[in-house]
Amino acid sequence: MLVIGPFLMFGITVGAGYLGGKSGGTSDEIAVISQQSQLRDGFAKANKDVVMNNVTDKKTATKKMDANKLAGYLVLKIDNNRVTGQYFGTKSLSSNLKVKVNSYLNQIQQQLNLTNAQLSKQQLQSLQQKSQLKETIQEKAGTNNLVKTISYWITVMMVYIILITYTTITAQEIASEKGTKIMEIIFSSTTAIKYFLEKIFGILLVILTQILIYLVGGWGIYIFAQNSSLTKGFLKQYNALITSVLHNILSINLLYLLLGVVIYTVLAAFSGALVAKAEDASKAAQPVIMLNLLAFFITFPFQNNLDSIIVKILSYVPFFSSYFMPMRIINNDASGMEIILSLLVLIVSIILLSMYIGKIYQGLMLQTDDSSFWKRFKRGISYNK
Amino acid sequence: MMLRIEHISKSFGDMKALNDVSFTVNDGQILGLIGQNGAGKSTTFHSILNFLKYQGKITWNDQVINETVFDKIGYLPEERSLMPKLTIQQQIIYLARLKNKSAKEIRPQIDLWLKRFAVKGVEKDKIKDLSKGNQQKVQLICTLIHHPKLIILDEPFSGLDPVNADLLKQAILTAKAEGAAIIFSSHDMENVEELCDKLVMLRDGQVVLKGTVHDVRQSFGRIRITVTTDWSQEQLQLLPHVIKVERQEEKRYILSLDDEDAGSEIFDQLTQGKYIEEFSQQPPTLNEIFRLKVGEAHE
Repeated sequence: MLVIGPFLMFGITVGAGYLGGKSGGTSDEIAVISQQSQLRDGFAKANKDVVMNNVTDKKTATKKMDANKLAGYLVLKIDNNRVTGQYFGTKSLSSNLKVKVNSYLNQIQQQLNLTNAQLSKQQLQSLQQKSQLKETIQEKAGTNNLVKTISYWITVMMVYIILITYTTITAQEIASEKGTKIMEIIFSSTTAIKYFLEKIFGILLVILTQILIYLVGGWGIYIFAQNSSLTKGFLKQYNALITSVLHNILSINLLYLLLGVVIYTVLAAFSGALVAKAEDASKAAQPVIMLNLLAFFITFPFQNNLDSIIVKILSYVPFFSSYFMPMRIINNDASGMEIILSLLVLIVSIILLSMYIGKIYQGLMLQTDDSSFWKRFKRGISYNK
Repeated sequence: MMLRIEHISKSFGDMKALNDVSFTVNDGQILGLIGQNGAGKSTTFHSILNFLKYQGKITWNDQVINETVFDKIGYLPEERSLMPKLTIQQQIIYLARLKNKSAKEIRPQIDLWLKRFAVKGVEKDKIKDLSKGNQQKVQLICTLIHHPKLIILDEPFSGLDPVNADLLKQAILTAKAEGAAIIFSSHDMENVEELCDKLVMLRDGQVVLKGTVHDVRQSFGRIRITVTTDWSQEQLQLLPHVIKVERQEEKRYILSLDDEDAGSEIFDQLTQGKYIEEFSQQPPTLNEIFRLKVGEAHE
């Protein structure tokens, strides 16, 4: 349920949108009406998505409009060598369609003008010369463009949601085993460190499976969206933006997400093992959730201030680097060496933390002292000393 | 081949949970560990299983107990606890796999074990859907299915009805016949007397009694007389060296003596040369010894 939840939500949203569109709203299609069939066909051919081809006269078009099956109709004419278009509709043309209509009318008008002027080939070529606009964008630190902003939000939200989900699950599961005799049976069969590391590994595999399902599912949705009339235009229009955002997300940032989940999961396991008794499982994840929230909210003030020393430092500090380094990577603010160093610190921290918690895990899990946090911690550490 | 516990002590803060405890259990032997709640029985088990660091030495076949011998150990903790969401089959296989037994090896045996312990349920039933008694039996199966060579059972009889207790006794005797060394704790002295070759009694973390059941009982002398007579309880109380009279049923009494040699004099006084329905002089039962030793602690 946890894994397929987003897909269900997506399906429900698309389904509801589709049904809503079908039942209540007016159609977005328009009819094109013209005495000159060439003029009509030219426009209809170039805009198949929006033109209702079977409506060719005003009377039918008006009927369809009254039945909310047509958004409007466009009348195209050529009078005295002048091309005109007149739109009748229930609402004004979308800006996108307006641009298309204008562009089509200009193109036809130009062709007409050139024919009427009876120019030579050279004159024709000369008139067809076009101006050119070149863009050179200066790269600046800070999330100062749309791609970076979108990439930043998707990345941090993804890290935050996955971390919250899995730290809660891990801490609660481990806390529910706390002080139960099943742990005694398990520790009479295998070492605590082996059990702990295998449990973390198991959780990691679940997370990897979930990420994989999301990637495959996301790819499927992308393919679907590319072919759906509902989203095709949008995707085409924002293709460059979407590609850039995907490039930012499906990069080394995914590794940061994964390692972030691992270190938070290890800490959540420790937190779960520290509860007083199994009944306190619901409180188990709180310290880790607080740390996650802290890291998440600290990124906010710095998304436009990557030069800050705090950003630089936190991009190397485990538990924070999973938020801060991806933010720097998205903004091209981190060198390869800095990324490697930050990853190394994170990996070494995961190993050391896992080894230490694995070592004291048996003591923490077997003691059921219902005292203060620190007493429980001390007793757990000294349980098998 | 034996489990050897040598001078182990363990403290939790100021509390001395175990104090110089020593005993041995041979392969094919059953040892009963008895004592009041908090006497140190579970701490002894936890020390054997290496859950705790302790002073002293515990070896099994001259080897320290650690993960290298975990596969040969079967442990049943005091309180029952299984994974409620798993099916019987999943639970048994999961715990057997921790003992390095393959699912392929264990799966065909499960049905036989369920029948052997008369578990009311099938392999696909969820643990949470079983009654408490059946959950307990499944846990016993998990403890024994990998044929361990050292079996540690913490209060295995608690909560079992007489029929199921008999099934468990049978399983323990089978494991003994297969050569396993078995230790179990119990408050039911009848079970200890019936099953154990040896017993160790702990009081406040110290060994207060140790030896074979026969030797331990004999060490108290034949200070218990069972008699069926027309004498009243008050009359019996006046007999020489009688310290306590308990009425068991109509005309049947248990007399506790402070000197076993007084037995023949009491017999003469009670029979006066005539027929008497029942007169038996024996050492005290384990139950009486247990009460006696606990009583000493409270004096």
